[in-house]
Amino acid sequence: MSSPVQPPSARRFSPGRIAQWVAIGFALFWSLAPIYWMLSTSFKTELEATRLVPTLWPEAPTVANYVGLAGTSLPFVAFFVNTVVSCLVTAVVCVVIATPAAYALSRARFRLAGTVGYSILAFRMLPMVVVLAPLYLLLLNARLLDSGTGLVVGFTTFGLPFAVWMMKSFVDAVPIEIEEAARVDGYPRWQILLKVVVPLILPGILTTATFVFMEAWNNLVYPLTFITTMDKQTLPAALVLTFTGQFKTDWGGMMAAATITTLPLMIAFFAVQRSMVRGLTSGAVAGA
Amino acid sequence: MAAQAPAATQARARPRAGREPWLDWMVLPTLVVMAVVVGYPIVYTILLSVEDYNLLDFSPANFIGADNYTKLFSDPIFWQSLRNTAVYTFGSVGISALLGLALALLMENLGGARFRAIRALLLTPWAVPFVVVAFLFRYMYLQNGGVINALLLSSGLASAPVPWLNSASLALPAVMVANIWAMAPFFFLLLSAALSAIPNEVIESARVDRAGTWGMIWHIKLPFLRNPLLISSLLMVISNFNDFAKIWAMTQGGPGYSTSTLVVYVYRLAFENFEFGYASAIGVIWLMMLMVFAWFYMRALRMERR
Repeated sequence: MSSPVQPPSARRFSPGRIAQWVAIGFALFWSLAPIYWMLSTSFKTELEATRLVPTLWPEAPTVANYVGLAGTSLPFVAFFVNTVVSCLVTAVVCVVIATPAAYALSRARFRLAGTVGYSILAFRMLPMVVVLAPLYLLLLNARLLDSGTGLVVGFTTFGLPFAVWMMKSFVDAVPIEIEEAARVDGYPRWQILLKVVVPLILPGILTTATFVFMEAWNNLVYPLTFITTMDKQTLPAALVLTFTGQFKTDWGGMMAAATITTLPLMIAFFAVQRSMVRGLTSGAVAGA
Repeated sequence: MAAQAPAATQARARPRAGREPWLDWMVLPTLVVMAVVVGYPIVYTILLSVEDYNLLDFSPANFIGADNYTKLFSDPIFWQSLRNTAVYTFGSVGISALLGLALALLMENLGGARFRAIRALLLTPWAVPFVVVAFLFRYMYLQNGGVINALLLSSGLASAPVPWLNSASLALPAVMVANIWAMAPFFFLLLSAALSAIPNEVIESARVDRAGTWGMIWHIKLPFLRNPLLISSLLMVISNFNDFAKIWAMTQGGPGYSTSTLVVYVYRLAFENFEFGYASAIGVIWLMMLMVFAWFYMRALRMERR
C-alpha cells in the first residue's frame, strides 16, 4: 500500500499498488458475490436452482418466479404493502415525536437534560426480547394484537430513542445564532423550531426517518409474535413462515421474494448514504 | 463531530438558555411514549420474573419468589445460550471491526469518483435485510446443491459436502460468517469517515519524520481511530446481543441448541412454551448484563464529547 497523499499516478505499477488492487478486488468479490447469487437464482427455474452442480448464469432465464409471487395463494402484494405501510408510519411517528425532544435536549440546559437524554439512550440499548412478553400482554389487553397499529407500537420501542439521539446531533450542528432574531421578536420556541430549525435540519430528518424505516424493515421478532393472521404479516416474517411450506425446495421463488424484500431497503439506503456518515459519526447513534 | 463541537460550546456559554417551559414540554411526548412502550414493560418483566406465569395455564399465576432465578442457574441450556451469545457477539464484532479497519486503510489513498463508486459497492451488504441475509446464506450453505459446497468439491478442497448448518460444531461459525458479511461494511463506512477526519498536518509532519506505512498506521492513524472504533464496537456488541432475525431464519437456534443465543432461548421459552415467568427472569438477568455494556458505551461517549 502506498502512502495516502502521494499522487496516484506516481507509482502506478508498484508491487504494493498491485497488492492493493488485488485486495480491493477480493473485497468486492466477497461483498457482491452473494448478492449476484441471489439475483441470478431468482431468474432460475425451481429445478435449476437446486441442481447439484449450480449454474453460474441462469440457463433459461425466466421471470416466472417474480410473476409467481403475485399469483400464488400467498398474498405477497399484501405482505409488501403491510411492510411498507407499517415501516413508513413508524418512521413518521418516531420523527414527529422525536424532533421537538431532540431540539429541547440540544438547546435546553434544564437540570434534567443530561439525565433525560441518557435514559432515552439507555432505553435504546434494552434487549428487545426482554420487553417482548410484557409488550405482548400489553397489546393483548389493548386489543392491538394482530394489527398494524400494534406493529407500529412495537417498532417504536427501538425507533423512537434512536431518532431522538440521531436528530439531536443534527440540531447540535445548527448554530444557535440563527434562532436569535426570532427569539428577540418573541416567537415561542415551537414556532422557532417549526419555521427556523426544521427547514435547516430537513436532510437530517430524512436520514433519521430512513434509518428508523430500515430498522423496522429488518425487524423479525415483533411481526412474528404480534401478527397471527397471515394476511397482515410483513415480508421478512412471511419469508420465514412460508419457508416451511411453499418455498421448502423452491429456492428460485425464495430468492425472487428475497430480492423484492431487499429492493426498497437498498433504495432507501443509497438515497441517504451521504448524510448518513455525518449522522453516524456523531457518535451518539445507535443503529443499523 | 467537528461541526457540532462549536455549537455545543456556544450553547453551554449561554446561561439564559436555561429553564424555559416550552423546552420542557417538548420532551414530554417522547417520555410519555417511552414510559408506555418501554418503561411499563420493563417493570412488568420484573414482576413476571417472580411468578410462575404460563399463558397456557389458566389457573392464576402464583408468586414464587426467586425460584425462576435459582432454576436458571442449574439450567444447562441457559449457560450454553450465554456462551453462544458471547461467541457470536464478540466473534462477529471483532472480526467485522478488523475487516472494516483493513478495508478503510486499504481504500484511504483512493480519491474521487472511483472511491465513491467502490465504497458504494462495498456498502451494499449492509442494505440487505437481515432475513434476506439469512436465507441467502442458508441457500449457499446447502449440503446438496449449495454453491459453497459445489465450489469446495470441484476445487478438491473437500471430498464430501460439508453440512454447514446441520453440524453442531459448524453451525455457529457459519451463521457468524453471514453476520460478518452484513456488518463489516458498517465499520468500513465509519472508519473511512474517521480516517478522513484526521488533520492533514498530522499526516504531513509524520511524513516529514519519514514514518513508514506501518509506522504511520500504528503510531499516527490508529490512535485517532481508537475512539470511533470503541464506540462503534460497543454499539454493535449491543445490537448483536439483540440479533434475532439472522439466527432464527437460518437455524432457529439449532441443531439442538448449538446456535441458540439468549434472544433465541427467551423467544423459544416465551412463545413456544409460553413460560413467560421463566423467560422474564432470564430477561432480567440479561438486562443487567446489557446495562453494564451500556454504561461502558455511555462513558466512552461522554469522553468522546469532551
